Amino acid sequence: MATLVSVYDYPSDVSTVVRKLKSRGFEDLTTYSPAPFEEIEVAENPKPSGVRLFTLIGGLTGVVTGFAMQIWMSLDWPIKIAGKNFASIPPYWIIGFELTILFGGVLTVIGLVALAGLYPRPLDDHYSPRFSAEEFGVVVRCEDRDVAEVESLMRGHNAKEVTLAASH
Amino acid sequence: MAPPPASAVADAMNAPARPRDSRTNVDIMAVTKGFHWPWLIAFIAAVSGVVMAFLALAYQTYEGLGVAGYQAPVFWGVYIITFVFWIGIGHAGTLISAILYLFRAKWRNAINRGAETMTVFAVLTAALFPLIHIGRLWKFYFLLPYPNQRYLWVNFKSPLLWDVFAVNTYLTISVLFFLVGLIPDIAIARDRALGWKKAVYTVLAAGWQGTGKQWKAHNRTVLHLSGIATPLVLSVHSVVSWDFAMSIVPGWHATIFAPYFVAGAIFGGFAMVVVVMVPVRRIFRLEPYITDYHFENMSRFILFTSLICGYAYGAEYFIAWYSGVEPEQTSFWQRAFGPYWVSTWCMITFNVIFPQLLWIKRLRTCVPFLFVLCFFINLGMWFERYVIIITSLSREYVPAAWGLYIPSTVELMVLAGSFCWFSMFFLLFLKMFPIIAISEVKELDIHARDHAREAAAHGGTH
Repeated sequence: MATLVSVYDYPSDVSTVVRKLKSRGFEDLTTYSPAPFEEIEVAENPKPSGVRLFTLIGGLTGVVTGFAMQIWMSLDWPIKIAGKNFASIPPYWIIGFELTILFGGVLTVIGLVALAGLYPRPLDDHYSPRFSAEEFGVVVRCEDRDVAEVESLMRGHNAKEVTLAASH
Repeated sequence: MAPPPASAVADAMNAPARPRDSRTNVDIMAVTKGFHWPWLIAFIAAVSGVVMAFLALAYQTYEGLGVAGYQAPVFWGVYIITFVFWIGIGHAGTLISAILYLFRAKWRNAINRGAETMTVFAVLTAALFPLIHIGRLWKFYFLLPYPNQRYLWVNFKSPLLWDVFAVNTYLTISVLFFLVGLIPDIAIARDRALGWKKAVYTVLAAGWQGTGKQWKAHNRTVLHLSGIATPLVLSVHSVVSWDFAMSIVPGWHATIFAPYFVAGAIFGGFAMVVVVMVPVRRIFRLEPYITDYHFENMSRFILFTSLICGYAYGAEYFIAWYSGVEPEQTSFWQRAFGPYWVSTWCMITFNVIFPQLLWIKRLRTCVPFLFVLCFFINLGMWFERYVIIITSLSREYVPAAWGLYIPSTVELMVLAGSFCWFSMFFLLFLKMFPIIAISEVKELDIHARDHAREAAAHGGTH
């Protein structure tokens, strides 16, 4: 297997080269970019992020927890005041709402940590501080016989540098 | 000449990082480096103020709430006023980072970090005041629903309890939003730091490398947090307003309170962003990033929300008159012409009359003028809460029970200390992390360059 690392100046070049690489069957690739660019994300993986599922689960858990907590606590020590219900739903919407937001937000961030692998760990071998400046990187792992094809595709889309980083 | 084949190229990725860095990284990270006299003076002043406030608070904790200016019938004073003030200040940060994000207002990119930082430290400051107000700080946990020997639970029908949940949710979500936005910029700092700083930034950056997968999850997280923070920010000050509006005190029991408080919060919050960012921009030479255009946009928000505040002030007086309810009418008459008339007229002048000058473009784009105006707006917003709380409580239904509240020295020291507490954290942040969201600024720059290149390639037709 060979690993080719290419460097670009513009996100449109990165998104084009990623799309072309994928269309030719080179699926094992990673992009590095100094800022968020939707075109690169879509080219690399058009599927929506799984973070939304975490938000949904968090929000639903929050609203259920909010109402369950208030209703149970009100019934746990029932005090009848002015003939009102022990558990009166309308005022409970406030805390129900707040806990929906709280749990939804916390689960969203947990989703980010899980899906983006955000925990202290060694950086990728091919990561470079250049990618947190203003340059973009595309790393492709391919068979040795495909190196020339991948390299030519990269250079054909304005790669500033193409490096054969490893070959086993 | 054909480029050399990849196999013949040296492994450049393993070579030491090239000295070339992005101008944006260098300029913005420069804030965290070097020595700045104005910063040091401000920091020493802030720490001194915090020490003074802690001494005052220690004295109050030892002596009891009697050393505050409370006397019948006014038992909500400077601490509650300042709580509402700081909660309000936080709102502009969430508005800029969440609501303007949803509207794709790209101009926010240069100021959102500063505003979010302000939000986090403002809410952190605000959250202290209910505890200071209860006097017995060590009993703060009574505010929370917790299992206890008497099987008693908190009252879920009380707006004060709603406030506990609203403020804690707001604090948590603001901190999460802030940290999520900060991670890519901490990675920038990590890649350029040395020694112990690199070790700290490495842990905080949590393995961020800007891969497509990471950006995708990050973008979706920011979108979702914006989506949920938007109703949250509107709810928080609404809930704070219900602390007052759900009671039957004349001057408080009004349905307009929620939108009135939310507009006032955004108004005061934007004014605070201007007051904080003008000196930061000047001292750290950030003019290329935070331009007059940003201040003009903020001044438009200030003008718009000032009009809403002005409408709310007028509507309150109109409804008091139109209702025909005598205690209500008396309460508002006392506001304007009673013992607290100075506060009321300061509020109206600073919050409604002065901001009308922003209709004039030359003043809207004059940053020193904006700084002075926004300072007075912050003063006016503090007076607004003073007027609402103190005038209403001191002039309730029975004239025989009327009283006069004058803040004590202890209260004023704690009030001053709250500004120092906020400033201390903000100043520390300035020296540790980028005050401008570097990756978001770069997104705009790189996109602009990319589009310009494409336009040039197509013969300048775009």
